[in-house]
Amino acid sequence: MRLDPKHVAPTLAQAVRDLGKQTERGFVFVRADGSERYIPFAELGRLAERRAADLHARGLRKGDRVAIAVPDPDEFVLSFLGAVMGGIVPVPISPQLTFKNIEGYHDTVAHIASAAGASLLLTTQATRQYVDPVVPRVESLRGVVTVDELGREDHGPIDVVVEPDDLAFLQFTSGSTSRPKGVMVTHRNLAWNSESFMIHGLAKDSSFDKGVSWLPLFHDMGLIGFVIGPIFTDIPVVFLPTASFVRNPRIWLDKIHQHRGTITYAPNFAYALVTKRVKEKDVADLDLSSLRRTGCGAEPIQARTLREFAEKLRPAKFDPRSFLPSYGMAEATLAITFVPRETGVRVDVVERAALEAGKALPAGEAPPEGTAAELVNCGRPFPEHAIAVLDEQGKRLGDRQVGQIVTRGPSVCAGYYREPELTAAAFVPGPEGEVWLHTGDLGYTVDGEVFICGRLKDMIIVRGRNFYPSDIEWVVSEMPGVRRGNVVAFGVPVGGEEQLVVAAEALASEAEALAGAIAKAVLEGFSLATHEVVMVPQGSLPRTSSGKPQRRKARDLYLSGTLPRARAVLGKEPTPDETTPGA
Amino acid sequence: MSQNRVQLLEVFRNTATEVAEKDFQNIAESTAISDLGIDSLGMLEIIGSLERELKVHIPDEALAGITTVKDLLNAVESRQNA
Repeated sequence: MRLDPKHVAPTLAQAVRDLGKQTERGFVFVRADGSERYIPFAELGRLAERRAADLHARGLRKGDRVAIAVPDPDEFVLSFLGAVMGGIVPVPISPQLTFKNIEGYHDTVAHIASAAGASLLLTTQATRQYVDPVVPRVESLRGVVTVDELGREDHGPIDVVVEPDDLAFLQFTSGSTSRPKGVMVTHRNLAWNSESFMIHGLAKDSSFDKGVSWLPLFHDMGLIGFVIGPIFTDIPVVFLPTASFVRNPRIWLDKIHQHRGTITYAPNFAYALVTKRVKEKDVADLDLSSLRRTGCGAEPIQARTLREFAEKLRPAKFDPRSFLPSYGMAEATLAITFVPRETGVRVDVVERAALEAGKALPAGEAPPEGTAAELVNCGRPFPEHAIAVLDEQGKRLGDRQVGQIVTRGPSVCAGYYREPELTAAAFVPGPEGEVWLHTGDLGYTVDGEVFICGRLKDMIIVRGRNFYPSDIEWVVSEMPGVRRGNVVAFGVPVGGEEQLVVAAEALASEAEALAGAIAKAVLEGFSLATHEVVMVPQGSLPRTSSGKPQRRKARDLYLSGTLPRARAVLGKEPTPDETTPGA
Repeated sequence: MSQNRVQLLEVFRNTATEVAEKDFQNIAESTAISDLGIDSLGMLEIIGSLERELKVHIPDEALAGITTVKDLLNAVESRQNA
C-alpha cells in the first residue's frame, strides 16, 4: 500500500484545481524588457485547463508525450500545466540559446523527442525556426504547434482522471550528450518531494513567503523547485528570464528587494557571479533582509563562494543564516537532503590525503596549507526517505567513510523512460523490495548528515550542466593529430566554480594549433568553454596498470602544476625531452 | 573604419578581456564568435557588460543572427544610432 503525502494534494492536477479560487496569490513573470505579467493561481488553472482541452482537440490522449521547447517562462508554465491537466506527459527541452551550434541543438532536440516518443512539439513563433528542421528526423512527431495557437479556441471541459501513479512528466537529464535519459517523474513523486522541500525543508508560510527565481524551467531545480512545489503549497513566485540574470546578475537581487522575496535558490556558480559582477555602490541601495531561505545546490558547493557572497551583500542586510545548502538530483525528483533551517553554511574540514584514500578524518586546528579539504554539510533526508553510503561491493559504510550515496523513499523516481538496462543499473531493489537509487555521487555521513565529495564517474559539472568526461574525450580523441584514446577531461575549481580542462597527447610540433582546435571542437560539440587545453608529450598521461589514462591522477598533476607540457616550437621536430619513446 | 567603429572594437576587446579573464586584445571584426572559446552563457555575460558600458539594449531576437564580432558591433551600432 502506497501512502499519499499528508500535507499536499496527491497529484499536481489536483493541486492546480485546489487553487481554483486562489486570486490573492500567483506567479509574476518578468519579461526581458522589465515589464511584468501577473497570473493569479485561479487564472493559471483556468488557462491550463483550456490548453489541456486544446491538446485533446488536436488528437492527443492521456499518456501521450508532448515536447516543449519554449523560452518564455509564462508560456512554458501554461503549456506544461496544460499538458499535465490533460493527463498528457510534457517533455521539457532547452530552448535554443543564442550562439549555440545549431546542428548540435537539432541533434539534442531530435534525440529527446525520439526517446520520449513525442507526438507533438510546442514552441513559439520566434523559436520555431530552430525546431522545424527536426520534425522529419523524429518518427513519432506529427507536427509543431506554436503556443500562441494553443487555447485560442474554447473546447470546453475534458474528462480526464489523473492518478498518483501516472507519469507527470519526463525530465531529461543533461548528462550524457550521446544519450540523454528521460527520468520518469510520477505525480506521487512530485507530491512527496514538494511536501518534503516546501514544508519539511523550507517551512513555507503562504501568508508571507514569496519565491524569486531566474532558474531555467526545463531543468528540475527551476521547474519543480519554483513552479511545481509552490503550486502544491500555494506560494507566490516571481520568475525572471535566465538570460536577463546572466547579462546582469544584479537583477536577481533587485527583484528580491522589490518584491520582498523570501525564498530563492541557485547553483554555486550564480553566487560567484554575483560576487564578481555586482558593484559595491549598487549593493548599498538594496535591502535583502526579507530573504529567509537562500538555497544552494545542483553542483558542488564551495563554502568560500558562499562566504564571499555573504560578505559582499552584508551592507544589503543579507542574513548568512538563510543559506540552505542541499543535495539532490533529477532521479530523486529534486531534493534529497536539506540542512536544518537557519543553520547556514556548516563545513567539515578534513585531511586531504585521508579523504583521497576514502576516509574523512577531521583535520586538526590550523592544518598546514593545502593539506585540508573543506566540505559543506548538505543536511539530512526528509521524513519517509533515507540515505546510506555503500562501498564498491554494495556493503554499508559507517560514518566518515567515503562511498557511493544511495537513497530510497517516495521521491525516488520510476526509472528511465524506455531504458530498462540503465534503469536496472541505477534503481536497485533492496532486501525488502524497496528501491534504492544509486546516485553515482561520492560522499560520507556524519551523524546522519551528508557531505558530497564528487562524482563516482568523474562527472564534470559546469554551471549546473553535467558532462561525462568520456563524451568529451571521445570527441577530442577523434580529431586528427590527437593520439586516439590518449585524452582525459576533468573539472578543476577556478574562481569558486568548476571548469573544464582537457589534457591530450600529441606531437609537440602540432601542440599549439591543436590546443585551439580542441577547445573549438569542445565548444561546438557541447556548448562548453574550456578553461585550458594542455598538450602533453606522448606517453606522459598517467595510466592504470591496463594502460587506460587516469583522469583523477591527471587532475592531481594538473592542480599541483606537475602535468608535463609539450612545448610547441613551430616547424621544429620534437626534442627527446618532449616525447617519451615507446609509449 | 569610422572612428566610432574603432572605439567600439576597443570597448569590446576590453570588456571581453575583463569579463572572460582571457586575452582578447588581438581579435578583429572578422573573428567568429565560435573562435573566441566562450560558451553561450559567457557570451551573454560579455554582452550584458557591453550593454551597460554603452547604454544600449540588444534584444534576444537580435542575438540569434550574430556569428562574428562584426555582426555584434553592427547590432550595437544600429542601436546607438536609434
